[in-house]
Amino acid sequence: MNMSSRARRRAVPLLAATAFFAQPALADAPTNNGAAQVAITLTGDNGGACVLDHDSAAAGPITFTVTNESAPAISELELLSDSRILGEKENLAPGLPASSFTVTLDGGDYRIYCPGAAEDTVAFTVTGESKQRAQSAIGDLLDEGTAGYANYVEGMVGAMVTASERLAAKVDEGDVEGAKEAYAQARPFYERIEPDVEGFVLPGTDPTDNSGNLDYLIDMRASNLDPAVGWHGFHAVERDLFEKGEITDETKAYAAELVKNVKMLADLSGGIEYRPEDLANGAAALLEEVQSGKISGEEEAYSHIDLVDFAANIEGAHQAFAFLEPGLKRIDPDVAETIAQRFADVQTMLEDYRDPDALGGYKIYDAELRKSDAVKLSRAIQMLQEPLSRIAEKVATAS
Amino acid sequence: MRGQDDKPAGLSRRGLFLGAAALGGTIATAGQAAETGKVAPDAMPDPDQRRYAFYGTGPQAGIATPPQQHLMAMAFDLTGTDPRALQVLLARWSASIGLMMEGQPVGPAEPDRDTATALETGEALGLGPAGLTVTVGLGPRVFSKEMGLAAKAPPHLRPLADLPSDALRPEISGGDLSLQACVDDPQVAYHAVRILARIAKRTGAATVRWTQLGFGRASAGAGQETPRNLFGYRDGTRNITTPDQFAQHVWANDGPDWQHGGTYQVMRRIEMHIENWDNAQVSHQNDVFGRHKLTGAPLTGENEFDTPDFKAKNAQGESVIPTHAHIRLSAHETNDGIRILRRGYNFTGGLNAVGRLDAGLFFISYQNDPAHFEALQRRLGASDLLNEYISHTGSGLFWVPPAAPKGSYIGAPLFAGV
Repeated sequence: MNMSSRARRRAVPLLAATAFFAQPALADAPTNNGAAQVAITLTGDNGGACVLDHDSAAAGPITFTVTNESAPAISELELLSDSRILGEKENLAPGLPASSFTVTLDGGDYRIYCPGAAEDTVAFTVTGESKQRAQSAIGDLLDEGTAGYANYVEGMVGAMVTASERLAAKVDEGDVEGAKEAYAQARPFYERIEPDVEGFVLPGTDPTDNSGNLDYLIDMRASNLDPAVGWHGFHAVERDLFEKGEITDETKAYAAELVKNVKMLADLSGGIEYRPEDLANGAAALLEEVQSGKISGEEEAYSHIDLVDFAANIEGAHQAFAFLEPGLKRIDPDVAETIAQRFADVQTMLEDYRDPDALGGYKIYDAELRKSDAVKLSRAIQMLQEPLSRIAEKVATAS
Repeated sequence: MRGQDDKPAGLSRRGLFLGAAALGGTIATAGQAAETGKVAPDAMPDPDQRRYAFYGTGPQAGIATPPQQHLMAMAFDLTGTDPRALQVLLARWSASIGLMMEGQPVGPAEPDRDTATALETGEALGLGPAGLTVTVGLGPRVFSKEMGLAAKAPPHLRPLADLPSDALRPEISGGDLSLQACVDDPQVAYHAVRILARIAKRTGAATVRWTQLGFGRASAGAGQETPRNLFGYRDGTRNITTPDQFAQHVWANDGPDWQHGGTYQVMRRIEMHIENWDNAQVSHQNDVFGRHKLTGAPLTGENEFDTPDFKAKNAQGESVIPTHAHIRLSAHETNDGIRILRRGYNFTGGLNAVGRLDAGLFFISYQNDPAHFEALQRRLGASDLLNEYISHTGSGLFWVPPAAPKGSYIGAPLFAGV
């Protein structure tokens, strides 16, 4: 990968010539089935140890086979280059069959990181240059993902402007039923990308003052009402349409202000660049939103279209994950598969709640449905939250 | 003094097992040869530092070990039918339980990386092991054809039969896996179960079904003073305590070798109608149990441990211990010698849906055949005087595999050749 590490590596056998045969671990790992084979054993000795049978290998595909013999405190292992995770194995525990992962590495210095071991980092050296695309190209895959996700967010923001304009138009016409439909159609766009766009304030305002906080002005609700700033945005319109069942001049003012603020948000959020961990954190934040706002029925307190928002949160989280997936699959295919499966489970579950006749296409989440189904919905999300909350660390570009 | 490591070398498997059974009665003696769940509690000066060994041969800890003060029980549903997912879960649970029973965290509470989430939640840091035992049970569905584990099933594991007076609520009954965490500091048990539930979700293998917190032990182990249930009566006076009794009634050794030292765990959430009970005359309460409230003595005796005389009549020719008294219907003398180990806890859940105290006994029993519990409860459920004051609302049956040796995990033999 770089000259200095190779030069240093070449010097080792000369300096350590006498020790060479006494420490067979210094020999390059043997090759089998086209990949260098490195065995890693986790033991409970000396406060937990992570022992490699070879600490170097020739560039190219390398298979690390991990056996946890007796180290209950070590449950995962990572291959690192600088601070980047290139490969990982989770769910290691004493007594389980050996498990392996294969990565393609270029020459350079790497580290095996075994959190929980007394000495948790072991050096690993790769010599030469790989003829195949090396694992460091994960960075390219993740970069492609973040660029794709930025496009997705931009598309959602644009669609949200259009949908809120349609809502304002229906409100202006005094068409309560039409406005209700337009409301339900406008909601999902914000709910898909909320964590990416919730940090903006009106230019020149104090970030701690809700009167300039765009997330408050667009998406405040009864449960986070700031009396000094009052009602604004989507839920102010929702309250008039669904609770009062009428459109007043005040409703029209709410809708017009909403359009203005959504356009402002579109301006401010254009051209954001994302890091891979931002996508991971955003997806996790959307699942928190589901748990805290939707399953409780708090978000759509008047229209009860919480399941529309629920589906939108899930879709947004799934998109963020999907853009990371090609890179994540190479880092930790097991966890990528687990999360993909859990998303599929949630999508399958949501199918049962579809109702083409209901506002927004999902069953109305009334008190009765909440009572009978909230536990089931929450459990399915919990099963997704735990594995998903861990991927930021795996894809992070910063240390 | 603690831990499987100190076990004398060269003992045969059978020898070890008998040694484990021998523990039943004399668990609290300091300096005894180490066995699973074996410890010398009285030799530990600080109760927070009391600890039991997780790894070893013989039965799991938390059965013959003396009941601690607090309970946290949790049951799980498997999410699928992949035996590998269960295998990973049992292995990760075992490793984590082993650490927590030593008072160790399961990982860094504050990881180095900013982007990391921590498995270790931190609330038990510095509290010590506090005598924690976590006992793992496997429900009938684990051994289903769909899981591919039917051939490994313990001989008597199946769903419990429907029993008289059952008022079971499905959402707090059943389950495919059980955890019984017992401890002297409830925060330590809560932490343990919380961590294990997170691992279930992280691995994707299982989801939480129900949970129960118990705040006071309601059964005595060997050498312990008999505690009282929330009716105010001593519970467990005639409990199983001696090694012979454990060998005869608790350890299920009729399956293949690898199952020896296992046992069947019954969990029942028994709600007490506290307000009604409190307004009943004490003489009636005594008749319901067949014992005196204050001393715990049978109505035919003077002292708690006097053997009840079920034949005794009063001057009017009526049985002194009434025909439907609880101790008569549940006594081994009247049940073909059937005995079970009771290891229950009192519980409260605040107020129930109609504004009465939600409280009762979280009954846990261990026996070498669940039919033994069924036989007793069939009789009690049909005609126990106590039925007027209780409802069985939750129920579960699990097989508790033997302990795991170091380097392995609970239930490992299930997956050999699968």
